[in-house]
Amino acid sequence: MALADFFISLLTFVTIYSLFGLGLNVKFGFTGLIDFGHVAYFMIGAYVTVFVAMPAGLSETYEGLTGLGLATAFAGVPGGDLLGWLVALVVGMAAAALVSLLVGIPTIRLREDYLAITALGIATILNAVFHNERWLFNGAFGIREVHEPLSGVFPIGTGSFQLNLLLFGLPSVAILGYAAYRTAKVVRPLGVRPALLGTGATLALAGSVVFVITTMTGLVVDLGVLALNVDNTIAFVLLVGSVVAGRAALTETDHIGALLALASALLFTLWYLGQPLVALVADGETADLLLNLFWLYDATAGSAGGLDYDRFFFLFTLAFLVGAYLWVERTVNSPYGRVLRAVREDESVPEALGKPTFRYKIQSLMFGSALAGAAGGLWAANIGFIDPTQFASTVTFFAYTAVIIGGTANNRGVVLGTAVFWVINSGTRFLDDFFPSEYAQQLAALRLILIGALLIVILYYRPEGMLGEQDYDINLGRGGASDD
Amino acid sequence: MASAGLLDALLQGLITGMIIAAGALGLSLIYSIAEVPNFAHGDMITIGAYLALALNKPGAIPFVPEFGGLPLIAAGVLGVAVAGSTGAIYEVAIFRRFRSKGADLITMVIVSLGLALVLRNVVLFLVGSGNINYDTERVTNTNVELYLTGNGLSVQTVQRQAGDLVTLGEWGYGWLSLLAIVVVAAAVGVGVYRWRSDDASFETVHLVSPRVFGVASGIVALAALATVLQGAPHTIDAAVWSTSVGVSIKYGVIIGLTLVTMLAMNLLLKGTKTGRAMRATADNMALAEIRGVNINRVQLVVWVLAALLTALAGVLTGWFASNLNPNMGFSLLLPIFAAVIMGGITSPYGAVLASLIIGVSMDVGVFLLPAEFATYRTAIAFVILIGVLLVKPEGLWGDV
Repeated sequence: MALADFFISLLTFVTIYSLFGLGLNVKFGFTGLIDFGHVAYFMIGAYVTVFVAMPAGLSETYEGLTGLGLATAFAGVPGGDLLGWLVALVVGMAAAALVSLLVGIPTIRLREDYLAITALGIATILNAVFHNERWLFNGAFGIREVHEPLSGVFPIGTGSFQLNLLLFGLPSVAILGYAAYRTAKVVRPLGVRPALLGTGATLALAGSVVFVITTMTGLVVDLGVLALNVDNTIAFVLLVGSVVAGRAALTETDHIGALLALASALLFTLWYLGQPLVALVADGETADLLLNLFWLYDATAGSAGGLDYDRFFFLFTLAFLVGAYLWVERTVNSPYGRVLRAVREDESVPEALGKPTFRYKIQSLMFGSALAGAAGGLWAANIGFIDPTQFASTVTFFAYTAVIIGGTANNRGVVLGTAVFWVINSGTRFLDDFFPSEYAQQLAALRLILIGALLIVILYYRPEGMLGEQDYDINLGRGGASDD
Repeated sequence: MASAGLLDALLQGLITGMIIAAGALGLSLIYSIAEVPNFAHGDMITIGAYLALALNKPGAIPFVPEFGGLPLIAAGVLGVAVAGSTGAIYEVAIFRRFRSKGADLITMVIVSLGLALVLRNVVLFLVGSGNINYDTERVTNTNVELYLTGNGLSVQTVQRQAGDLVTLGEWGYGWLSLLAIVVVAAAVGVGVYRWRSDDASFETVHLVSPRVFGVASGIVALAALATVLQGAPHTIDAAVWSTSVGVSIKYGVIIGLTLVTMLAMNLLLKGTKTGRAMRATADNMALAEIRGVNINRVQLVVWVLAALLTALAGVLTGWFASNLNPNMGFSLLLPIFAAVIMGGITSPYGAVLASLIIGVSMDVGVFLLPAEFATYRTAIAFVILIGVLLVKPEGLWGDV
């Protein structure tokens, strides 16, 4: 798989899980409800969307309820399958919200830890039901007949190679450029010396990793890696240099965030453009570099290249994320959102002011669950196959980790945290190539150990997350918001 | 040939309940004294089970040097001991720091979640996700078959040896002796309860509550009389009712070990200075600290005890089911939480009793429900929990 394709699939994952995380942020970040069963609504959204869109009798192996076939119901209208799918998605979101209403009415009054364990239990039971009841949605065998909206239309292109390149390539470069500009704005306050030290530390670290990887041909636990040879000595020296420079950079500046941004931007550039650049310099090979730069353009799609379905689907999910982001922003910035935050801080205060806090909590729960349901519908269409094992309770915990890393009660933080989480969890998968394949499970476990440790460390040193709580249009004024 | 019935399900449930109780006891201590709703508790169980595995079957774990392996008893004891020190590590490295920062309940929940993620993946990293079992002798089940005939109760013990059913023993009780056994056992139980509780006043602290004492002596009397009054077996062809109960040495060991552990915990909580400090801390941490209780020491003791108890539960689960996997602890987490909340989180005694209730209702429920509901075993525990939370959120027993 080309690097650009992997990049696209990673971005799609981050987008869908960000949408999922936004839903969690409404519940957990803004209203203070610990819903450990968040994944249940993801699952319900996915299954119901697929079920409503799925035409009947597509497959012999499917023994669940007959689908409603909305995807083919509007076949006469142009774009009818998209319309049918969108209706299915709305039904999926409504189903998720409705189930959360049913769950919330008895449980939402409970103390926070009781709510957490009850929600976890309900999600586990729901998952067991979906797993065991074959008559419902085919049980453990899952559903393969997932409708992918507009999949028949793609790839699209203009028929002319140059025009295609211009049409899809230019926005790609523009987006990369804009990202670079935003990063530069974040890194700017760093100052020259710390920036240089940080750059040095990052490059040295990357170099050391490259040396270790290139010398390693066989086993991970091969002690030969530790032996004294030229490559290892260089790697070791680089590693020490990296640590020294990194420490120096940390002591020289207070802008740790800027330093981290600089380091991640450098690592991304090395990962994404470094390898093709090496190919360019060594063999005069330009194809990889161009493919990576013009990542929205797929040369293999159609005769003259164009926009393939994966790339389109990324843009499609992105549109949903942007919509949900604006919706959540609008909600939390309204007086309504202020009541939600008041419920989070101390429920008795809004109650004393005559606010029906029970209703607010239920509504917040339903709103968050509907977003999770939308994420579920998109997830199903992206993967093309759903079964209950995809919706284990660990998914909820991952979302919590992402929200907390990025910044609880911060919608941008959710996206940032989800990106950090998935870069650690999936983005580092290219490192697997350098290890024997039987260690894949070990490496996956190692990543999750790292994520769990990161969660604890962030909670200890920076409980508000990387970005901290966001600012609101309607604020309580400086100093007025403290507890004392 | 009698088939397994309600009595068998009851006994199974009792064993399940005992294992849950070992976990619930530790969780109840952590919950009430350390004030951490510990979501890592299930994975602490897994860690305990795998520590014993590392000593029992070192070849199964790639990073442990091969040394032949210890017998399961030694490996279990050592594994539980090592697990105790991991409890100290969790407290000192993680939870003490968060406590000193005044972390709230939500933060503690998430921290324990992070710890759970780390622990489970450490197991996955070191051992992998496959099923594995302890290297120990196979234990054969003995079926105790009860037949109710016109002349009284007849008992047969049957064992499957090399594919054939072998009758090991056969005896019976006449109606009169049955009546005598039940009446005398009940009388002993009530009598002991009366005798133990006649000094009851506001200040009395019973080391073992009179009720427990009464029930225990009743059961002892029942067993003793049943052994003494064994008579000739009746013809079982005309049995009105028959049932079979599977038992093995595992059952005895699990019940015995958990009972001894509970007694030891009871002694510790009620009979020692540390126990009093623990109970004081559970009541009011700030007040206890003012009165000179070393909070950090108490918390350390709590975490070590909880880790010991979870490891015990882990080893027993792994041995009883002849199966270990990285998810074994997590699947016990829900019943354990259910038991602790049901018993009232501040009461270890309530937690034990609730564990037994939940264990029994899980297994009896599976027995009574149609076969296709067998996979919803955990769900039964949960339905009970939700019911209790909705009706009586402070738990069935409240404070002790």
